Parts: sequence; C-alpha cells; structure tokens
Amino acid sequence: MFTLLKLELEKLFRARSFYLSFIVLVGFVVLMLWGFYTYAARKTGGEAVEQFKYTYESKQYFNGLTFALYSLLFSFTLLLPIFVSMSAGSQIAGETRSGTLRMICTRPISRASLVLSKFIVTALHAGLLLTFFIGLNLIVGLIFVGWGNLELYPGPLNLVDAPGKIMRDDALMRFGYAALSGTWALLVIAALALLCSVVFESPVQATVMTIAAYLTLYIVGRVEFFEHLRPYFFTTDMEFWRDVFKPDIPWANLWHYACVCGAYTAGLLLATVLIFERKDIVT
Amino acid sequence: MWVKLILLVLFCLMVAGAVHFAKPRESEERTSSSNSSDVLRLLTWNIGYAELEDDTRAHDKDLPAIAEVIRRENPDAVALQELTGKAQLNALLKLLNGAYRGAVAQQGRGDRFEAVLVKDTGATFTTVPVGDRYALAGSFRSSSEIVLVSAHADAFNASRRRTYTEALMDWAQARAQSATVFIAGDFNFELKAANETNLYTDNLKHDSESYSHIMRSFRDLGRAAGDTAINDRRIDYIFGPTQPRNIGRVTVLRDAAVGRMDHWPLMVEVSF
Repeated sequence: MFTLLKLELEKLFRARSFYLSFIVLVGFVVLMLWGFYTYAARKTGGEAVEQFKYTYESKQYFNGLTFALYSLLFSFTLLLPIFVSMSAGSQIAGETRSGTLRMICTRPISRASLVLSKFIVTALHAGLLLTFFIGLNLIVGLIFVGWGNLELYPGPLNLVDAPGKIMRDDALMRFGYAALSGTWALLVIAALALLCSVVFESPVQATVMTIAAYLTLYIVGRVEFFEHLRPYFFTTDMEFWRDVFKPDIPWANLWHYACVCGAYTAGLLLATVLIFERKDIVT
Repeated sequence: MWVKLILLVLFCLMVAGAVHFAKPRESEERTSSSNSSDVLRLLTWNIGYAELEDDTRAHDKDLPAIAEVIRRENPDAVALQELTGKAQLNALLKLLNGAYRGAVAQQGRGDRFEAVLVKDTGATFTTVPVGDRYALAGSFRSSSEIVLVSAHADAFNASRRRTYTEALMDWAQARAQSATVFIAGDFNFELKAANETNLYTDNLKHDSESYSHIMRSFRDLGRAAGDTAINDRRIDYIFGPTQPRNIGRVTVLRDAAVGRMDHWPLMVEVSF
C-alpha cells in the first residue's frame, strides 16, 4: 500500500495539471485583489461614502481577512471543485487512456488498494490546493489590504442572520478550520470523480460528467422551483464547511453535515471499488 | 477485502454520526407565555394580496377574518400595512367593537396606507415622513410611553428600502429618547441566509446595510419565529429596544391568512 501511495504521489507531482491548478488559483487571487481593492476604494472613500454609511463604511471592514473570506467563498463554489474533479477524474481513466491500467492490474496488488491509494493522493491534492489558496489569500490580504477583525453582516456571503464579529486571532484559527472542513467537503467531489473515472474510459469524460453533475445539482438547488429537493443534494450538504466562519460555530450542525459528506464519500468509494473489481479491463 | 470492509465501516460510522448529530427540528415559535404582569403584545401584519391579483391592497371581504385574528390574539397594539385607506380602517375598527383606536398614515407616493391600532383610549397617532412615503406611529400608555411604528419599505428596490430605513431610523432614534419605541412592519429585506447564492450583490449589500443599521439601536424581536410570507421569506419584523427585556411568545400565525394574502401576522410578547 505504501509503495502504491509513493508511486501515485510521484505521478501527481510530475503531472503538469497539478502545477497548473496552483497557477490558476494564483491568477484568481490576483483578480480578486484587483476587484476587491478597487471596489473597496470606490465604496469607502470620496464621493461614494454614502454607499457604506453604517456598516461597511469602515475601511477596517475591507481588510485582509475579509478579502480572504470573500475570495475563498467565491472560489470554493466553482473553481476548486473543477480542479478536484480534474485530478480525481484522471486517476483511473487516465491510466486507461494511456494504456497502463492493464499492466498495473497485473501486478500483485488488489484493485481496491489501487482505488484507495489513488483516492488518498487526490485527497492530498485537494487539501494542498485549499491550504495553499487560504494561505495565499491571507498573505496577499495582509500585504496589500491590511489586518483587522472579521466583520460579518447578514446578506452578502449568507453566513449570519445578525451582524457579528470575529476577532483577528480567532478569525485566523477559523481559516485553519476551513482548510479542514473545506477539504472534507471536496472529498465528495473527489469520490464522485473517481467513480466516473472507473465508469468512463476517458479522463475528460469522467471530469466533465463530475462537473456536470455538480453544477446541475448546484444550480437546481438555487432555483426556487426545486427548493424541496435541495436538502437531498450533496451540493447542499457540502456547504457545511462555511459554518466555521460563523461567530458561534454550530458544532452539532457542522458534525452532522460532515458525517453526511463522509457517508457520501465512503459510499461512492465503496461503489467505485465494487465496480472496478468487476470491470473487464481491455486496454 | 480489508479495503472494502474499512469503507463499509466508515460509511456506517458516518451515517450513524449524521443521525447522532442531526439537530432536532427547531421549534419556530417560543410558545411559553411570559408570566410577568406587565406584558406588551404587539402584532404586525401586511394584509395585502400577492402580486397575482389586480388589486394587491387589502380586500374589504377579508376584514371580518382580520378582526377575528386580532380579537383572538388580543394584542395591545397592531401595525397593519397595505390598507386602502381610512374607510377600510374604520370598517375594521367597527368589527372590533370599539376595543381599539386607530389611524392610517398620510398618503405617500403609493396607493396604500400603513395603520396602527391601539387598545388604549388615550392613544395618539403621528405621521412619520420617510422620504416620499409615510409611516405611522401610535403612542400609548401615558405613564411609561410606548410608541409603535407601522412601516412598509419598498418591495422592489433595495436601494429605496435603505433610504427609507435610514429616514425611519433617524425619526425612531430621536423618539427613543423619551419613549420606548417599537418598529413593526414589512421591510422586504431579503436576508435569509439559505435563500440566495453567496455571490455579492449591491442589493444584498443594501438590505444588509439597512438591517444592520436598525440592529445598531434595536433588537429583532421576531427572529425566532421564522418565515412571515410565502416562498419562505422572513420580511416582516418587529424591532424593539436593545435593553434586556424578556421576550415571551414569538409566533407567526400561519393559519391567519385568508384570500390571496401573501403574509402572515407576526406576534411578539415583551414583558417589562
């Protein structure tokens, strides 16, 4: 198992797509910084003071922590799932496409171990991506926007029902929690993509199907017509990770949804193993 | 084999964990009535109709049902929105057998009126100018003056809601120097965390700004009661003083709407 993991890690670190995902995230942070900086400057100074008269007027509101929070919440919805889907979707289907899967399966390793090792590597990739992204946002926020407390208002970001505040040191801790809870939530996507990677022969097909399923449920969940279906979508359960940014973390709620996501992940992985074990590998 | 076993055990553990941590359904109302002797019961209700109707203002045929709810709940003061005018209010007061005094606000830009009903014969009413609209304040309990403002912010424009809120708060904060002020009504704030996408919009920011501005000086007394209008919207509020006061029963009367009303009354008990 450890040898398998080592081999898979080597493959991950040699893949160009691994580094590409980090480069794109850096690009997104730059874009966010530009948008955030100009918006804050426009809305908190000069002629537009009235726009932020009571709550957002303070330049302290637009600090590095707020920047990191906005950037993280915006990117988590779409950007990070794409990279996780790409990484997981290419794990088995990529081997199939390059013709190496048959050879790997002739080695004295179980197919279940192969799936598990590939999933662990994908999970590591997801964790690294998120940790890197959070760290980068905080560093960029500190350097270019400045420190302060994390002020939260109802409405934008949909985190709180009443105005609240998280003190700086506590807020930094919350970003640490978010790296864990966010990675855990992303594992559902990773498990789904791995399942697609077993079912489909092409990594592109596996990735596209995963993203399509994710986006479909995400968008349908946002349409009021389907509000009664919303609780049954894994995309709804995945949103638990944001709870760590609430002034009082609803721990029971967080653990509940973390377990639901865990059940999705374990269930999908189990299905992946069962399908893969019965799969006739002809390439 | 062991991999499958681990995954199966993990799956079962996660399902068990999810069941264990599942929160019990939150009661949307606080049903324990306060035992305090000095209890103030406030009710707010937008009695207009949903957009489907030609005339979305309150309908005369609903007045007996509205009066019945008021009689049954027996509030000390009622804030109503979307009345057609003074004649409709008088009809309602008549149905209440003179138990309440009331007034409607001056007509503003729109075709509908806010009203306040008070179960106090000494009550006085003041029109509150808020931009191009008018809210109405009812004052009662001369020993320890209480003011209930009936307000109705724009339904379609968050920027106008914010302007309205700012003007209303200027008046309320000044009035709160000499009386205990409650603000009740339909503010149309779209702030429910589960409702929207998490993307930042100026509309959300305006509503957030408005609500947060009120929360600087007042407390959202009806927060625990849940949605007050169709489509799972909590857009009707009763704001009260921030000082510690016991909040008793807080409830949305979901069986009260008749006809094509799209709001339910929000009832709050506060004890001193």
